[in-house]
Formats: sequence, C-alpha cells, structure tokens
Amino acid sequence: MATKIRRLTLSTGWLIVALVAGLPLFGVIVGLWPSVPISGADVIRFFAYNGLTLSITNTLFISLAAPLLALYVAFMVYSQYRFNPRWQTLEKRLAPLLSLPHLAVALGLVYLFSSGGMVFNALWGLFGQAAPDWLGLPRKSLLTMVLAISIKEVPFFLLILSALGRQLAIKDWLLQGKALGYTERASWWLLIFPIMLKQSRLALLAAMAYTLSVLDLSLLIGPNIPQLYAVVLYNWQTGFTTYEQANAFLGNLVLLVMLGLLIFSIYVHEWFAVMRLRTNAIMANPFRIARISQIFTAWLSFFSLLTVAILATFLLWSMGWNSQSTLSTANWSFVLWQDEWFFMQRPLLNSLNIAFFSSILGVAVTLLALELQQQTKRKLPDYIWLMAILLPQLSMVYGWQVAHTGLSGSYSTGWIILSHLPFTFAYSYLVLRGPFQSLNRHYELVAASFGYTYWQRWWRIRFMLLRPALLSALAIAFSVSVAQYIPTLMIGAGRVTTITTEAVAIASGNEQSITAVYIIVQAALPFIAFLIASILAQRIRGSFDAEHP
Amino acid sequence: MWLTSKSLRFFSNLKRLNQLAASIVLTAVSILAVLPGVNAQQVLDTPIIQLESSSQWQQTLAEAKGETVYFYAWGGSKPVNDYLRWAAREIASRYNVRLRHVKVADISEAVSRLKAEDGSKSAIDLLWVNGENFSYLKEQHLLLGNLWSSIPNSALLAIQKLPLQNDFGVPIEGFEVPWGVGQFNIIADESLFSHTGSKQNTVTPSSILAVATQNPGRVSYPRPPEFHGTTFLKQLLVALSNKDQRLFSAATPQAQEDLLPLLWNYLDQLHPLSWQQGNAFPSSNTEQLSLFQQKQFVMTVSFNPNEIEKEKSEKRIPATSHRLYFAQGAITNSHNLAIPKAAQNSAGAKVVIHFLLSELAQKQKLNGSWGDPSVITPLLDEASTLPAQQELHSSWQQVIEDKWQQKYGA
Repeated sequence: MATKIRRLTLSTGWLIVALVAGLPLFGVIVGLWPSVPISGADVIRFFAYNGLTLSITNTLFISLAAPLLALYVAFMVYSQYRFNPRWQTLEKRLAPLLSLPHLAVALGLVYLFSSGGMVFNALWGLFGQAAPDWLGLPRKSLLTMVLAISIKEVPFFLLILSALGRQLAIKDWLLQGKALGYTERASWWLLIFPIMLKQSRLALLAAMAYTLSVLDLSLLIGPNIPQLYAVVLYNWQTGFTTYEQANAFLGNLVLLVMLGLLIFSIYVHEWFAVMRLRTNAIMANPFRIARISQIFTAWLSFFSLLTVAILATFLLWSMGWNSQSTLSTANWSFVLWQDEWFFMQRPLLNSLNIAFFSSILGVAVTLLALELQQQTKRKLPDYIWLMAILLPQLSMVYGWQVAHTGLSGSYSTGWIILSHLPFTFAYSYLVLRGPFQSLNRHYELVAASFGYTYWQRWWRIRFMLLRPALLSALAIAFSVSVAQYIPTLMIGAGRVTTITTEAVAIASGNEQSITAVYIIVQAALPFIAFLIASILAQRIRGSFDAEHP
Repeated sequence: MWLTSKSLRFFSNLKRLNQLAASIVLTAVSILAVLPGVNAQQVLDTPIIQLESSSQWQQTLAEAKGETVYFYAWGGSKPVNDYLRWAAREIASRYNVRLRHVKVADISEAVSRLKAEDGSKSAIDLLWVNGENFSYLKEQHLLLGNLWSSIPNSALLAIQKLPLQNDFGVPIEGFEVPWGVGQFNIIADESLFSHTGSKQNTVTPSSILAVATQNPGRVSYPRPPEFHGTTFLKQLLVALSNKDQRLFSAATPQAQEDLLPLLWNYLDQLHPLSWQQGNAFPSSNTEQLSLFQQKQFVMTVSFNPNEIEKEKSEKRIPATSHRLYFAQGAITNSHNLAIPKAAQNSAGAKVVIHFLLSELAQKQKLNGSWGDPSVITPLLDEASTLPAQQELHSSWQQVIEDKWQQKYGA
C-alpha cells in the first residue's frame, strides 16, 4: 500500500512538472506549424535575403559577447567583494541595481553617453563649446548593444554567484590554495572560477537566449544595416504574404539552430577557460586577468552612480524636462504623474497579484522538479527545464493562444498566471538548481542519525538551508512575471492590464516624458521584491554562511 | 517590445475585386451620404437626424446599452490615449456604453489574435487599422461589412474632398470607417530651406540634397519598411519622376526599370551625406523626432500635419521650426476604425464609431492635444490641409521596400 501511495505521489508530481515544463514545447509546436507549404524555392529565397548572413553573425556575436563579458565582470566583482566588509553593502544594493528594466538602461546609456548626449554636452558646455560628433557611444551599433546588455546583466550574474557562493566552501578552498602556495587572487581563478562557471551555465544560457531574441533593444540601439536577426524575424512573423510566412517559419528554425550553437559555445568556452587556467597553473604564468580584477573594487560605486544617473534622467523627464530646456527654463510639473496615477492603480494591482501567485507557484514547481530528480536519481538535461527561456516566445505564446481560444478559455487572471508559470518556473529553476544540488549533505545525515524522518529532514534542514536561495529565486521569478508583455496581452486579451502592458505600449511611441513615468513605476515593482528578499536574506543564512560567520 | 506602428505593406497579388459589385456598393453609399444639394449645412442636418431615428439605429442603440467595447488601438501616444479617455467618459454618459482602450505596441498584435481566433468569438470589438493590416483582414473575411450604411454619422464623411474611398489602394467598401487623415510633412527650422531656392514651405529632392550637403550627417529618414520611411521614398520617387502616371497603376517590370533608378541614383548621392553615412537609420519617425529634439538632426518627418504645433506648444522643439511638404503635394491617407466579424459587442462598437465621427468628437480630436485632422465635412479646414498627393498604387510599396533592402539593407 505504502509503495502504491508513493508511486502515485511520484507520478502526480512528475505530471505537474511535465505540464509546466512542457507547455513551451507544446506552444511552439502549435504556433510554429507552417501555415503555408514550404518548398525548395522558399529555402533558396530565404537564404538570398540581403544581409542575412551578417545579421545572423552580428546577432550571434552580441548574444555571446554580452553575457560572457557580464559573467566575467560579475565574477571579478564577486571575488573582490566577497570577503570584504563592503559585501554587506553590495548585497543591500543589488536590489535597486537589479530592478532597472533593460529598456531603461539602454535608453539611459544612449541618452547620457551617446554622441551629442547629455554628459559630453554638459562637459563641453562648461567651456561654451559643442561636443564633437565623434565622441561618445554610437547610437546604433554592436558596441552599444553589447555594452548595454552586459552592464545590465552583471547584477543578475552577481545574484546567481552569491546564491551559489552560499553553498560552496569558498573560504576553505582559498585556505587550501594558500597552503599550496598560491596567492588568494590566483586561488579564486584556479579553484573557484571553474566550479562557478559550471554552475552558472544555465544563467549564461538564459542571458544568451534573451539577447538572441530581444526585440525592443535590437530596434532601439542595435545596428540596422542590416537589422539584427530578432527584428528581421519579427517583420516576417507579422507579415501576411505567403513569402513572409514561409520566411518566418524558416527563420524560426534558423533561430533554433543559432540557439544550439550558443549552447555548444557555452561548453566550448568552459573547456577553453579551464584549459587556459590549467596551463597557467602548470607553467606558473602570471595571472593577467587576476590583475584586471582589481579594477572592479570600484564597480559598486560606479554602477550605483550610473543607476542613480539613469533614474535621475527619467525622473527629470517625467517632470517635463527635455532637451530643449535648461534646468531653469523647464516647465516643472507633476501633471503627468497626477494624470496617470489614477489610471495606474488597477494595472499595478493586477501586476502584483499575477506576479505574486505565479512566482510562488513557479518556485514550488521548481522544488518539486528538483526533488523528483533527486529521489528517482534521474537527472534530466538542463535545457529541458529551460525551454520557456530558450524557445522563441512569440511562436510559443501564439500556440498557447490558439489552444486557449480552442478551449474557449476566459480572459481571467487565472489563465494569465498559468501563462506566466513556465517563465517563472524556468528562471527559478536556473537560480535554484545550483544551490539545491550543492547542498551540504552532512547536516541531513546528522539529522537522520537523530531519527528524523525524510520529510522532517526536508523541511527542517534542507528547506531552511535553501531559504536565501529561495528568496532570490522568488524575487527573480516575481520580476520575470512583472516583465511579461506578450503572454499577458495575448492570453488576457486586454481584459487584464498590467503595468507592463501599459508601459510597453506607451514606450512604443517614444514620448520621453510619459515613457519615463511608466518605466519608473515598472522598475518599482521588482525593486520592492528584491528589497524584501535581500532584507530577509540577511536575517537568515545559507549553509556555508552558517559555518563562516 | 518596443515597436512603432509597423510598416504598411500590402500584397502585390491583391485579388481583382469584382468591379461591378464594388461600384454598386459605392454608389449606394454615396447616395446615402451625399444627397444632391449645394447647401452643405442643410444636407448635413436632415439625413443624420433621419438616419438616427431609423428603426435600425434605434435597435443598435438599445442593443448597445450596457455593453463593454474592447477597442484595440496603438497606445504609444499620450495625446491619443488622453483623447480616448475623454471619449470613453462621453460615450458612457451618452449611450451607457463602456469603452475600454486596449493599448497595443503594434496593431499587428490584434491582427495576429484575429488570426488565432480564426473566426470564432473574438475578444476584439473594435480596432484602429489601415494599410496592409486592413487589406489582409478584408481579404480573410474577418471584418464586419456595411458599416457606412449602418452608422448614421458616416454620412458626414468628406468623401468629396478627401480620399476616403480607398485605403492604400484597397477599396474600403464599408468594411472600415475613416477616423482621421494623415498627410506626409517635414519639420525643420525656418532658416534651413530658406536659401535652397525652393518655393515657400515646400521641399524638393534637390533642396533636401542641398541641405544634406550643408549639414552632413544631420539628415536621415526612418528605415524602410517603417512606413514613414517608405512614404519618404515614395515622395521622392513622385518628385524625381515628375509624377509619372505609371506610379498610380500596378508596378510593371518595365515601369520599375524606367523609374526606380531615378530614386536609387538620388539615394546614392544622399546616403553618404546622411546620418552615419547611411550605415544606420532611425528605426521610426518617433526616434527621428527625438533625435531632432536633441539637435542631432536638422529635419524630421511626420504624418500628422498638426504635430508641429503640438511639439511647439510643449516646447519640445524650437519655436522657429516650421512645417514643409513636397512640392508635388503631401501624400495623404486615412486611418480607420473596423469591427471584427466575430466581435461580441458589435452594436456597442458601432455606437462608439458613431460618436467618434460626431462633430463634437472630431472637433475635440482636431483642437485637443492630439491635433489629428478631421474627416467630416462640417470641420474641413482648407487652411490647415496641405495640398494632397494621391497614394501610389499598392504594388509599389512592396517593390520599393524589397529593392531598398536589396540595395541598401546590408
């Protein structure tokens, strides 16, 4: 009987997990099904599209370079701050740094630092001259795009690394490194970097997949001769001619191939990085990269300053300041805020409501998925769990929409929460997987010897040790849910407006002042989530923090 | 997703519509709309009241009571959003119909929803649409017909003065109702074109080239297929070919061979002088406008003839800016309202259209912060209307976009 119950529970668990993790695949199959028959001529015409090759290579370059750059910077920052009194400050500040939306960072960077941007104009203005045109970030280029995305992703990777770091005996390893005669800097790279790199594969992949298919940033700051692949694909996908439909189908297949290449490159990069470190260790070469790390002792101040500058820019815009006015001639007013605040309350409540439930459910299903794998000793490859992040979102949600209409589903909050679940699940999986699998078993063994049952051990020990990572996962899942535009609009059919559906629609018009109002409010939601998470996380400690006060 | 209203493209392979049926419908509509008579005032007053008291309309009003109309419309413009908030209040108090603006970043999202619903009960009651999106929906039989004949205020439409019968070369035939018009114009500083020798307030391809020569790197246009960019190219083509008549009929290979090189030769001269030497273009008219506001550009393009006044009053552009148009005339088209065939609140949607075409609503749209030109006869303002230039035949749109992509897209 007991085995029967156990089997039943297990299979129910698997079913739930399979449903949530499998929804993306289902959506893509339904949504991508070619609406027009594809012939050989279509394939030839597809590859004859002018600039396709360059568009693909540019996009691949950005998708590789930006996340990797962000990861390296994040690791160097982590290594500089981890055993430094400022670590607490950094953890506290991660919240605001994480909550600026990508769009805000991109807009802010371009506005402040582009040629003819605020900063250079102000500097040159001091001498009564106009800043030269060649100075500053080009407005549409690979460089700007890589910079914007990598700057934005550093705090995300820091969050991942800090969740990982709680589960690793970093201090002990550094000591062992010292005993072997390595400097602390070298030990960081030789002993800790390889394992962290391995453990953050998922996060890397998520950042790469995001960059690969991000549309608004590609349009705004990406190069457009030729356009980046996401833009080209979107144009086909929203076209109506049979030729465009055929291109859209083939284009999505190419997108999947590109994704495969990115996954492959993660492994190649890992192998290459570990090889380099090994050769360096054996040959006792000096660590150049370790010397670079020192620069990043200033990262926190720099990044905080940038965030404040961007926020200040948006605040000024929202109060009626623009490039025509100086500080004294602007028509300062809160009219916009007063106007919009009345209309914002419902979307805000909806956002909170949906994000609250979908993040808690997402984290719960993640725990279930991890636990089931642990119990049945069946480890499924990571990309199966991350399909929501990896597969093309537009086709996926379109497939869901077809199914949702077929079921005559209502346009209620419940359905929207369900449509966010795959995304919150995937992101909390990538945050939790590392900590969950590198938990120190020692405590549970001790508890078992005291006669605790499995579930008691689970709740009292494992869950408690995981709490900081759980909080990070919840905060990330929450902000992911807040940021969803396509599923919310397509499944909710506009019946349920959220702050993001409003913000994205408004931002499409490029009107500075009103866009600023919505971006600030949109950033406030994840900010609250990260803030609560970080306050709580400081009160409770992860497994190794418990040993290393 | 950050999107501007997507390029308006349509099929080169439009089905040849049954000419006879089309003309019958059109005649019927025009008889309804324009009763013979020169005294416009009289013409306008009587039929509307008659139409409004017809049993058909009374039934629509009764049906509409208490309905909620979900109106899918681009939400990227605060003036438009504010206007719709005003309209929602008015409609609620007059007709007891609730208007909900579903803000989308791009109306193609609504089209894709209609595609997914595939004719089953729709979540959309009303949408703001034109160009290729309309022609697709019409071709797929997803739209409700006979709107002009079932909505009283359609009789006010200025079909005599404005090109309201066709939407980018596709006959409207009652499947959508014009709501406002756009006219292509250029915004620049007064002094910019003053010594290029072109006529007052007009530009020509050569005067633009002269300006680009004097201000290298400060002239550009939105990257096609964004429709402001494509329209800019169309205006150039009209001017460079001296209004060649072949532009207004299907683009034959011969016509393409004769006319398009004029445009490419011109662009070959313009691009090296334009922003980033033509290695990048603004993604949209809004991006170009913000670059103009930041003094990176000396000119910007717009489809709203009254945009300049709005920008000036908000002090977003210098007070010395003024509006110009192409000497051959400003390309003019309408943006429209349509009801999906499967809409669940079509009566309410008709009431909303009826209100939006009323004199009160059209006046508020024209004089309020939006400043969108009116489409009804009583409010036609000759002074603010630019000399119009007919849209090119729809087949040229695709040709220009594809060839541009081939030549300059990479």
